[in-house]
Amino acid sequence: MLSLLRARVRIAALAIGFGFFEFVVGLSYASIDQNAIRSLIDSLPPALKALSGSADIASPTGYLGSGYIHPVALTVQGALVISMATAAARDTESGAAELILSRPLAPWRWLLAQTFAVIIGLVVVAGGGYLGGLVSTLVVNDLGSVSAGALLETSAGGVLVFAAVAGVALLASVVCRGGARALGYSAGFVVISYALNYLAQIWTLITPLGRLSVFHYFDAGIVLGRGGLALADVLVLGGIAVAAAVAAHVLVERRELVR
Amino acid sequence: MSDTRLVWAAVETAAPALDAVELTKTYGGSRGIADVSLRVEQGECFGFLGPNGAGKTTFIRLALGLLRPNQGSVSIMGTDLSENRLGALANVGYLPGELALYPTLTGVRTLDALARLHPRPPTLRDELLDLLDLERRDLGRRVREYSRGMKQKLGLIAALQHDPPVVVLDEPTGGLDPVMQARLLDYLAARSRAGRTIFFSSHVLSEVEQLCDRVAMVREGQLLLVRRVEDLPLGSLRMVRVMFSEPMPDDVYRSTNVSGLEVDGSTHRFTFTGNPAPVIAALANLPVIDLVIEPARLEDLFRNLYDPAVAEVPV
Repeated sequence: MLSLLRARVRIAALAIGFGFFEFVVGLSYASIDQNAIRSLIDSLPPALKALSGSADIASPTGYLGSGYIHPVALTVQGALVISMATAAARDTESGAAELILSRPLAPWRWLLAQTFAVIIGLVVVAGGGYLGGLVSTLVVNDLGSVSAGALLETSAGGVLVFAAVAGVALLASVVCRGGARALGYSAGFVVISYALNYLAQIWTLITPLGRLSVFHYFDAGIVLGRGGLALADVLVLGGIAVAAAVAAHVLVERRELVR
Repeated sequence: MSDTRLVWAAVETAAPALDAVELTKTYGGSRGIADVSLRVEQGECFGFLGPNGAGKTTFIRLALGLLRPNQGSVSIMGTDLSENRLGALANVGYLPGELALYPTLTGVRTLDALARLHPRPPTLRDELLDLLDLERRDLGRRVREYSRGMKQKLGLIAALQHDPPVVVLDEPTGGLDPVMQARLLDYLAARSRAGRTIFFSSHVLSEVEQLCDRVAMVREGQLLLVRRVEDLPLGSLRMVRVMFSEPMPDDVYRSTNVSGLEVDGSTHRFTFTGNPAPVIAALANLPVIDLVIEPARLEDLFRNLYDPAVAEVPV
């Protein structure tokens, strides 16, 4: 697969980096005083407290889970899916799409190959994060209570969030003229979505609007503590991903994919 | 029925390699191409000429289904693009005018990836590598390390490696040195003799004159003419170069049949058709120090046709 081949170095580097980050997050749990951090979090204003999610951050699951919704984790996964899912717009702009689509290949199949590549890349990077977290649970005694299965579901939750982002980015890639514009819209979706979820947590007036954010459906600490994903969250995130991707595949057949 | 008659019967009934009917494409309010009909027979070598922005690339993209026409239809080897685009494209090898390759892929990965998208096996790859002097070890390098000429060679190999029945090349010799250009043109002529259809756009007229059976010329999105090269109206067209002892204004040929006038200091270059008497009369009282009148080449016809002052096609 051409898209995967082109992104293989990026995927490998982000998987290793994400794994190392989650390992360090887990490792750092051994060095904290749980009571001290609990009282520290309790003393923080809601605006800062909301950044770590709604789980008890001093607990093993809350602490380890916070690593999966940390801005670093979100940036790593977001950067990967946006850069890969907007490839169609960049290829159209550069002229590479013209070379490929002059072969007997339907545009939707071309986009489908890119979709699979994004999903595979995302799973590999999330897998790196999972392994990093898993190793930390094996070497840090205080994290021994975190089950591998729950950690796997937490990583899967992250995959679902960014699969939804990938769907939107694919749609932007098909609709927009120019890779930079597609990238901008996709990044804007992530930033607005994150901000909306954050503000909804600290500002009761807009709390109902939080449901419009993809991040509303994934709180890693809660998922890890509960031991699994909620079916409703899976359906919403999966639904966004599939609906956006299907729309992109329908629209790509109607577009003229040349400069 | 004898073998010869069988062959002729097959030729007569064969679908055209490319058949465009009344193709029109506009971009918003601006012109693309208008009402272009063109039929290229199988085994023909066909040149598609026009200045930049004339609509050559738009026509090619429409012919390959990369753009959708506002009006008209295209078929390749008898397969209508609107009904079976992928089936039609299975017969085509295409080199875009502005070739864009993935810079991080190696040459061989690029060729393999493009080969996998085509149903015909890349049987001519080795032959083309030898023809274009592209070393095997160069194929192992990333495309971003390639020169423009090497990228063009890679694009040509990608287009031709499947031995497609219809080859569509948009400015194929761009970036190649003269030796490679000549080699490529000879190769294309050989492919044409072997029954493959070669359709290529160019503004290098000498290569069209050398290679093509027929040419079409476009200007401002309109088809000006389609002729066999030997039937082009070069017979009555004359190219004139006049050198004066001092610069002359460009209105000295008023009421003559001159067109395509170019003024370079005290030298004028132009073409005319028909009776030379008015031109000679116009020059008679001017300080001419040198005068060359010679039969026009395709290039002169081309310049003549694209002269904005020429409202009508002089053929």
